Amino acid sequence: MSERTTVCGTPPTAFGAATAVTPRRCLLVCCGTGCRANNAMGLADALEAAARDAGLDVTVSSDAPQIKRTGCNGFCENGPIVKVHPDDISYYKVKPEDAEPIIASLGNEPVARLLYRGEMRQRLTRQIDNPFYAHQQKLALRNIGEIDPLVIADYVAAGGYQALKKALQMSSEQIVEEVIASGLRGRGGAGFPTGIKWQTAAGYPAKPKYVICNGDEGDPGAFMDRSILEGDPHSVIEGLTIAALAIQAEQGFLYIRDEYGLALSNIAAAIAVAEADGYLGDDICGSGRKLRLEIVRGGGAFVCGESTALMASIEGRVGEPRAKYVRSAEKGLWGQPTVLNNVETLANIPYIILNGGAEFAKIGTAGSTGTKVFSLVGKVNRTGLIEVPMGASLRHMIYDIGGGIKRDRPFKAVQTGGPSGGCIPEGQLDLAVDFDTLDAEGAMMGSGGMIVMDEHDCMVEVARYYVKLLAEESCGKCTPCREGLRQMLGILTDITEGRGQVGDIELLERICATMTAASLCALGKTAANPVLSTIRHFRDEYQAHIRDRSCPAGVCPALTVYVIDAEKCTSCGACSRACPVGIVSGEKKVPYSIQSEKCIACGSCRDACRFDAVIAMRKEEVA
Amino acid sequence: MGEKLIISIDGKACACEKGEYLLQVARRNGIFIPSLCNHEGLEGLGACRLCIVEVTRGGRTQTVVSCIYPVEAEIEVQTQTNSIVEQRSVIVALLARLAPQSQTIAQMAKFMGADLPRLAERPGGDKCILCGLCVVACEQVGTGAIAKVNRGVEKEIATPYHRPSAECIGCTACANVCPTGQIEYQQDEQGVTIWGRYFDYVACAACGKQFATAAAWEFSALSSASEAASVGVGADAGADAGAGAGAGAGAIGQGRTGVVADADALPAPPLCPECQRQQVAEWLASSSGRYGNVRVAMKELAGE
Repeated sequence: MSERTTVCGTPPTAFGAATAVTPRRCLLVCCGTGCRANNAMGLADALEAAARDAGLDVTVSSDAPQIKRTGCNGFCENGPIVKVHPDDISYYKVKPEDAEPIIASLGNEPVARLLYRGEMRQRLTRQIDNPFYAHQQKLALRNIGEIDPLVIADYVAAGGYQALKKALQMSSEQIVEEVIASGLRGRGGAGFPTGIKWQTAAGYPAKPKYVICNGDEGDPGAFMDRSILEGDPHSVIEGLTIAALAIQAEQGFLYIRDEYGLALSNIAAAIAVAEADGYLGDDICGSGRKLRLEIVRGGGAFVCGESTALMASIEGRVGEPRAKYVRSAEKGLWGQPTVLNNVETLANIPYIILNGGAEFAKIGTAGSTGTKVFSLVGKVNRTGLIEVPMGASLRHMIYDIGGGIKRDRPFKAVQTGGPSGGCIPEGQLDLAVDFDTLDAEGAMMGSGGMIVMDEHDCMVEVARYYVKLLAEESCGKCTPCREGLRQMLGILTDITEGRGQVGDIELLERICATMTAASLCALGKTAANPVLSTIRHFRDEYQAHIRDRSCPAGVCPALTVYVIDAEKCTSCGACSRACPVGIVSGEKKVPYSIQSEKCIACGSCRDACRFDAVIAMRKEEVA
Repeated sequence: MGEKLIISIDGKACACEKGEYLLQVARRNGIFIPSLCNHEGLEGLGACRLCIVEVTRGGRTQTVVSCIYPVEAEIEVQTQTNSIVEQRSVIVALLARLAPQSQTIAQMAKFMGADLPRLAERPGGDKCILCGLCVVACEQVGTGAIAKVNRGVEKEIATPYHRPSAECIGCTACANVCPTGQIEYQQDEQGVTIWGRYFDYVACAACGKQFATAAAWEFSALSSASEAASVGVGADAGADAGAGAGAGAGAIGQGRTGVVADADALPAPPLCPECQRQQVAEWLASSSGRYGNVRVAMKELAGE
């Protein structure tokens, strides 16, 4: 599709002053997984056809606009996204039928109806004007959405593989020093200092050594690693190669979950072309250094994201973790010194080597440098993948980037760090988010999931949901984790179904304490977080379930019935249309009503009502 | 290894070698730490978590699992702090609900005062605590007939697809290491039933008494012969044995049938059943540090 000499989508400085010609016009079509689901590939084809029809054939005329299929721009709910460079125009929710008007508008006024609408309903042309992007600082995601991931020349033109060439001139110690100076901590969850990990592995003489990229992203709702693997695979390969140089490894593995089809095919294609171009293989950039990379497909077990379980899985054994009394840097894969890093961690490495660790350390907070990618989801107006400097406040992310809570309802809590993370309440909204502040709050960074909840979310149910997931996804090897989760799930289910007993909260705390202290791996040690953090901040909600058989959020079906407030009801019928079982009825100018005996308490009517006329009541009270 | 260290366990000075596992050191010094999934003849698992203790090293205290914690420095160990006692008690209470049929666990729970009546018994719960010691024993024998299946709360110990396993040799090693007696087997005059299969006994060449199952005998004979062949020893056993071993190894690779091969190909005389189990158990108990597998023991017992 694209010639290898083409350069576009890169900042103007990359062209240099000598190239007096205007950079070639380029249409960047977001072809991440989310946009593909909305027919982005069909859109890209339509744009190419429209360009040809307009006499702008890329194969005939070098002045014709080029159409590139890029990785994910992160704002999937508004996809497919098309960006026009160098005009800096961003279109959202573009359909194939919009291809013609877009092509016709090139060089003229943009197609107004496809531009993003700001909070004042104004049309915003540039990406930076969009509040979703305005507050972001892209480092790990620097190339995604700007380059074609399958074209290595795009990556090289954007400064790619320069860090590798620089690293080849450096000693192992110098590379490690630079990464230590950067303060980079592992983005996979635990936040272990990457440089120290490399230094430890580099210090062991045993050969062979291995480097592993952990792409077994398992947290529900988190997709930053997938996005990077799909949209900028070479940055991961470059980071992994530099890690291999630092510890003198000649074999590496990329462990990627099998569900990530596009990520797998893009990384495989990237490895092949990087080998062909000499950035990988038996003679890296003519240096005589070697690195072979192999892709291993994960089978979908959440626990295999844990480093030692992941290594067991690569070795062909059951994915169970082992105790880390001896670190993987000393004895990891097949008992050899091994460095395992997360995808996002590795994507930061080229920036650090090229610009220096000190430059990276200027970003973020003292204890957590750099940026972090979060997947902001839940009850916010703008959801998606965002990258902000460490230390950004929750309020900034939720209100400035996320545009606040849907329907302006009150914020209740934000759940961070995936299933083993915790819930942070409103009082902590100004928390400057980094590894240490989240840990102190009983939550954790995890892979960067951020699920925003409003007053219609029941915190006991949230805890039960995560405990259920963990009970199914624990490896089941050690007693506290497996049995603790089994029993906690039973107790939490009892509480949400009205069978809670006095003393349950204290019993949950006892089990949690034992799990945290005595479990084998990080999954078990942190599995208590969703329970402990909700008890800590929402104890009254637990008590209401147990003592009053009441779900204050109006969520738990066993405790809740919905009724319609006749005074507030405007008879608009939205509730009736939303009801999945068809038991909300009424007519014009007469308040609607719910047949409570048939109600499944799903809450759809309440979510649909714009006048707060649907009220959740205690079941016992109504009955 | 080899470097001598003095560590303190509950205030008692204990000598050990660097790299030794903490539980071993404590046991040798007469300090009791409860455990279920630990067997002297097998690698530590760290699964049941009963043997947790507090280790202070360089001013930092952490909870570790003593059966797999290698002593690397002159540490201070506390085996009975309040939090350790509390956590063990919760663990035993959890196990008691997992394995309501187990007398061992019930007694342990009674002894520790661990009772959480609010917790639900596992539906269909038996004596199994899912520690996986049986699986490790089976792997050590070299058969791999049983495995841990599924994950999380669905975890169980089973033969493949819950069908009688073609790999099983009826050796009963799994049953012998099980800390709660979950794995049962029925013996009669001709053989033994375990994991849904019946195994014929083989008669002792010396006294005529029936002993180990024919499948176990075949397995051990073939694997020790192939081991001998592969290291180039055992020339005395004759060329026939070597050929038999080669064929046997091939048969193992293709999936075992469990049928006794030509008895003439067996390289060593069979042993009496009681002695064999007794001696293997003794060997396992006394072999810390050089536990390879049972067939090595059998070779030794056969006088090779």
